[in-house]
Amino acid sequence: MKRCTKCGLPETYETIEFTESGVCNMCVQHIYKAEVIDWDKRKLTFDKIIQDNRGKYEYDCIVPFSGGKDSTFTLYYLMKEYGLKPLVVQFNHGFMRPTLLKNNERTFKKLGVDVITFTPNWNIVKRVMLEALIRKGDFCWHCHTGIFSYPMHIALKYNTPLVLWGEPSTEYTAYYDYRDNEIEVVDESRFNRYINLGITAEDMRGMVKNESEELDPRDFAPYTYPNLRDLKKLRYQSVCLGSFIPWDTKAQSKLIMDELGWEGDEVEGMPPKIYDYEKIECHMQGVRDYIKYLKRGYSRVTQMTVLDIRNERMVKDEADKLITKYEGKKPPSLKVFLEYLGMDEQEFNNIVKKTVVPPFEPDFSKDDWSPKTWDFDNLYREKN
Amino acid sequence: MSIGIIDVGIGNIGSVSNALYSQGWDPVLVSSTKDFKYLTHLIIPGVGSYSAAMRLLLDAGLATAIIDFVSQGKPTLGICLGMQLLSFIGYEGAKTEGLRLIDGEVMPLKKIKGLNLPHVGWNEVTYKREHPVLSGIKSGLDFYFVNSFFFNARNHNDVIACTDYGQSFPSIIGMNNIIGVQFHPEKSQINGLRMLDNFCLWDGVC
Repeated sequence: MKRCTKCGLPETYETIEFTESGVCNMCVQHIYKAEVIDWDKRKLTFDKIIQDNRGKYEYDCIVPFSGGKDSTFTLYYLMKEYGLKPLVVQFNHGFMRPTLLKNNERTFKKLGVDVITFTPNWNIVKRVMLEALIRKGDFCWHCHTGIFSYPMHIALKYNTPLVLWGEPSTEYTAYYDYRDNEIEVVDESRFNRYINLGITAEDMRGMVKNESEELDPRDFAPYTYPNLRDLKKLRYQSVCLGSFIPWDTKAQSKLIMDELGWEGDEVEGMPPKIYDYEKIECHMQGVRDYIKYLKRGYSRVTQMTVLDIRNERMVKDEADKLITKYEGKKPPSLKVFLEYLGMDEQEFNNIVKKTVVPPFEPDFSKDDWSPKTWDFDNLYREKN
Repeated sequence: MSIGIIDVGIGNIGSVSNALYSQGWDPVLVSSTKDFKYLTHLIIPGVGSYSAAMRLLLDAGLATAIIDFVSQGKPTLGICLGMQLLSFIGYEGAKTEGLRLIDGEVMPLKKIKGLNLPHVGWNEVTYKREHPVLSGIKSGLDFYFVNSFFFNARNHNDVIACTDYGQSFPSIIGMNNIIGVQFHPEKSQINGLRMLDNFCLWDGVC
């Protein structure tokens, strides 16, 4: 596979393009982020947004919150820098891990915030995970659509126009590009562009229902983006903090660890310690990463090391060693996942095979497993 | 905000009204002078002929009401023919006096070989200066046009943007609390909708 000569991202990476010298667009826009964007001016823009919303509505803002490093930092920053009164909104995808839950409780208590947590119907979740896996090779549809639409419903219900997200997508992909020098708006067109896999909640309802049953449309409301007119009437603003201050996950993770006692965790298939701040929120992260490996020939180790290479915190050789050692192993959670979906590994492989991104060709015969994480036995099992 | 749309039966009222509605506004249709009472913003849409449209505005007593509204410093937007009516004189149909709000004449686009008239379709709008109604919309983007005539502004300062169709012509004009666009923002997708939204949020100060 063709790879970026600087960071090593392969050609199967979403939205990737290469310059004549073989450097990828993500590396190029990273330089733009550091050198061209006027971050002082961006910060002033953000100050104005805060000033326009403070004290005027039921809450100063909505903060969609997973409890991972980015949303925790965002909440911390908004409280410390601006002393806001936010409403924290958490969409529970069904796989929250114990360390994350402990982190969340600590963060909420230390910062003193109001929190709403919503957990959707598990029986629907299982069905849409299966459907999204079959159609797109990506079972996370319920989580991604829920995370991005549910807080917007809460913004409407609580008459709070400002919704503040954390990390902008420009850190990882070029659906939006730092070089456009525009503020990435977290709206329905972004949702349709790459969050919902091209499947609306209404589509999904039609896809998962059997001929003999009529599924309740209300079960799909949490995954449905609210009506644009309602949001516009609220004069909503939905933006990422990372569009206004330069995002630095590593430094921010250290800060929340020091200031809030936030703890990292093991993640299946990831090197221990070095990236223990990343994607600790989901028991199924290992499965997601493994599917990505089968489809695209790289996984989260690559995604993490490219950030370090771009930030000149790691040399490529070191990254390659980590990638060789950790990437592509089967996560123990795969067995539990297949139990949820009621299929065996052969069926799973057959589904994933159809969504492989050429020119990558996966090797399904490898039977190399990554170790169980400490909390593996906490996982909910369908068969007790 | 109370956004009024002039309705004397000259065209694209429905599409302008729907576009505003989609952006969270509740526009009201204005067909008599008493409808002006609570308006904060006024939109003069229009498809059709300059002389016929002016006649309708005069007959309904709306020409004076519009001029009076503008004189109060309230934001006013002319779209397509509605923009052209802001001028002093128009030559479509017959030589006709306009609302005389921005100095200029409305003339036919030159006939140029290979370029059909009317000028129909998407074309680039290049800014000459900044304006609050253009906030967050980059210069050089495409908007949807349908026109055979153009606003030949007397003062360069009143020209906010230009478009090229064999000849450069003003596609956005403005003075104080008035702005006029030759294209149809209500048919220009996301950038047009943003422009209408910006107008509704504008306080009329440049």
